[in-house]
Amino acid sequence: MKPLDRRRFLASSLGALGAGGIGAAIGAGLTDGGAASPPPPSPAALAEQVNQQALSARIAFDGRYQSGILTPRQDVATFVALDSVAPNTSVLFEALQALSTEARLLTQGEAVGVQEIDDPPPDSGILGSLDSPDSLTVTIALGGSLFDGRYGLAAKRPNQLTAMPAFAHDELDAARTGGDVLVQICAGQRDTVVHTFRELMRVIDGRLVVRWTIDGFQSAQRGPSTKNNRRNLFAFRDGTSNLDVNNNALMNQLIWVQPGSGEPAWAAGGTYFIVRTIRMHVEFWDRVGMLEQEQMIGRDRVTGAPLGGTDEFQDPRYDLDPKGKRIPLDAHIRLANPRTNATAEQRILRRGYNYHRGIDAAGNLDQGLVFIAFNQDPQRQFATIQTRLDEEPMTDYITPVGGGYFFAPRGARGGSDWVGSGLSSA
Amino acid sequence: MAVSPLGITDSDGGAPKPRPWRRHARLLVGVAVLAVIALIAAALIPSGGGNGGTGANASKPFGVATTAHATPTKAAAARITTVFGSTIPAKDYGTKIARQEQGIDANGQLASDLSPVAPSAFAAPIAAYRHYAERWSTKLAAEVPALRAALASGDRSAAERAWGVAYSDYLHLGAVYGLLPGTIDQRIDGMPNTLPGDGSPGGPSASFSGLHRVEFGLWNGASPQSLVRWASQLQRDVVTLRRVLPTVQISPLDYATRAHEILEDAQRDLLSGTDVPWSGAGVLGTAAGLAATQEVIGTLTPVLQGRDNTLGEVQSWLLQLQGVLNRLRAAHRGTYPSLGQLTTAEREQLNGAMTGTLGALADVPGTLETTELPVIPKIPSGR
Repeated sequence: MKPLDRRRFLASSLGALGAGGIGAAIGAGLTDGGAASPPPPSPAALAEQVNQQALSARIAFDGRYQSGILTPRQDVATFVALDSVAPNTSVLFEALQALSTEARLLTQGEAVGVQEIDDPPPDSGILGSLDSPDSLTVTIALGGSLFDGRYGLAAKRPNQLTAMPAFAHDELDAARTGGDVLVQICAGQRDTVVHTFRELMRVIDGRLVVRWTIDGFQSAQRGPSTKNNRRNLFAFRDGTSNLDVNNNALMNQLIWVQPGSGEPAWAAGGTYFIVRTIRMHVEFWDRVGMLEQEQMIGRDRVTGAPLGGTDEFQDPRYDLDPKGKRIPLDAHIRLANPRTNATAEQRILRRGYNYHRGIDAAGNLDQGLVFIAFNQDPQRQFATIQTRLDEEPMTDYITPVGGGYFFAPRGARGGSDWVGSGLSSA
Repeated sequence: MAVSPLGITDSDGGAPKPRPWRRHARLLVGVAVLAVIALIAAALIPSGGGNGGTGANASKPFGVATTAHATPTKAAAARITTVFGSTIPAKDYGTKIARQEQGIDANGQLASDLSPVAPSAFAAPIAAYRHYAERWSTKLAAEVPALRAALASGDRSAAERAWGVAYSDYLHLGAVYGLLPGTIDQRIDGMPNTLPGDGSPGGPSASFSGLHRVEFGLWNGASPQSLVRWASQLQRDVVTLRRVLPTVQISPLDYATRAHEILEDAQRDLLSGTDVPWSGAGVLGTAAGLAATQEVIGTLTPVLQGRDNTLGEVQSWLLQLQGVLNRLRAAHRGTYPSLGQLTTAEREQLNGAMTGTLGALADVPGTLETTELPVIPKIPSGR
């Protein structure tokens, strides 16, 4: 099988729909399609066209940084924590390389190959004859446990890659916490993610096994403008004060591990990848007065504006409210990001997803947030913020149950390079 | 802070659409009628000759208080009478009620539909509850030595039963355990929040003590005798508990909130099994939480009476939940079954009664609001 041929096939079959990449996919086909003027396409045809464009949007797997970090959040995700059962280091590296190779193929889209009829098919085929890229990203990260004695990697361990500590109100379930490797799969459609998960598992069989997994989804963009952040399952807009990912200087200051920072050389260009599976007790939340909800968060539930304001992106002006008469001093937004010079270097990049996984034994909805944060230095950033949130009133309504600290290395360089290949160099 | 259910809007753009009142418009009409009667009374009753302060008229059966005369141009100092049972000036009452019916107060903010309760109305209920809590702490102090003795005797079944008695006793405290000073609640009822194997391979950390430390050992095959030291420490911690209990401050807000949240905690932590992972004693713990809630609601009955239909709804659901728990106990030979012993039908009965009860209790804090909703200042414009 030749990956390049597959990509060419894809390009030719979808060329008319502007499949060249994200930029080409967005906004192209709609206007171009109408150039021949006569009858305007039916709404169904238009919808189909938009759908095809979305399915053909492609995000590069290789690059200086891994995708799925600064990439705009796709609508659905699955997080997979893996433990290594590889008998030795070279088998482990083969498995990691296979993971990258398959991820590269899937993210770029490929025609489903045909094999001899009496063999198992090379692709599960659940996406049909063409594995459309659908904005798929596969982000690969490593857990601290991979750097224990098993594979002789102790000297390579990023300085802060420990097991995730239990914070004040955590009730961490060991079966849902930690892992040697984390794979974040994000795409536009659930079937794309499920397919990717399935295909990735096939190439690492017998070497990396699933420890835990959780599915996430994004709330739809329900406006009023496309700038407004989407809601979490407490109904509040989430991500309002998030970092500007287009600001390279800021990313170098807060997200990417820099060369010469005291971290192992191979870690440069990577980032610490924090996962927190946070159960939200939504029935309890729904039985709390609206004003109390708003004061716990510090924002208006409808508009997302800081209390006393009218616009989601308005500065809450904590400097003019030192006693918390407008926004309580223990409101979530105030503790999480006090917006002072002293706390500026603590900021993190969030990229979370809602989750829904049925009900618990008491008949309560098991819903919550897969909290995802990227940061350069978890001690200085994530852990400092989390500790500040220890006693926020919202702790009654949430229970962190799992997740872990991981490290996402720099992106692969194409060809046969793989995410984490820095581990194998001397 | 707990506040009343509000008129809420759910549209993201454009004009907010007020949602219909969750609670009973009929009551508002009733209140408005009372207000009219009060206003008539205010007009009929002499003002008290100028020196009649609020105190002078407070004891009149139709207690409309008066204040001093003032010139009509100075609104703030105008002759004002407050409406019986509230702090709202009579002359503003009609306007306020009309606005509140729209869910908007005089400042244009979303508002509660009930006037505040005087904080002093909570004094007697809280005092009564304190006596109740002290009685249960006395019982606890008497039962922990029995647990210790059962552990020392090596009789696992007896020790498990004695553990259940002590655990239930502690959960009967209900409304106070979130308010205890220092680490006393953690020492008696705390769960380990670290993973076994995280820093303490093979077992819980040394700081894990109390009822759940004994539970962990008993239901994981530890010899009962090896747990005697934890029962001894528990005994000492209960002595501390009894010493601090009379000093615990329970505010009206705490008390109104606990009326709702004792059973919220039971559902979140006990019926889910989270806080009783080894014994599965979630039904037993829920029964204790129900008893505490019944006590809180019982003491608050005079305050809740006549304020919406909250009390009626709550009492009805507390009875239904009690009925389900009684039937469960009867079906399991007179003891509360562990969570694992519940049949699907039993579990559904329990879950259903619990969610119904919580839905009713959720209205209690708002019904007992002691202040008007705070006015949230605007963010100053300009930089």
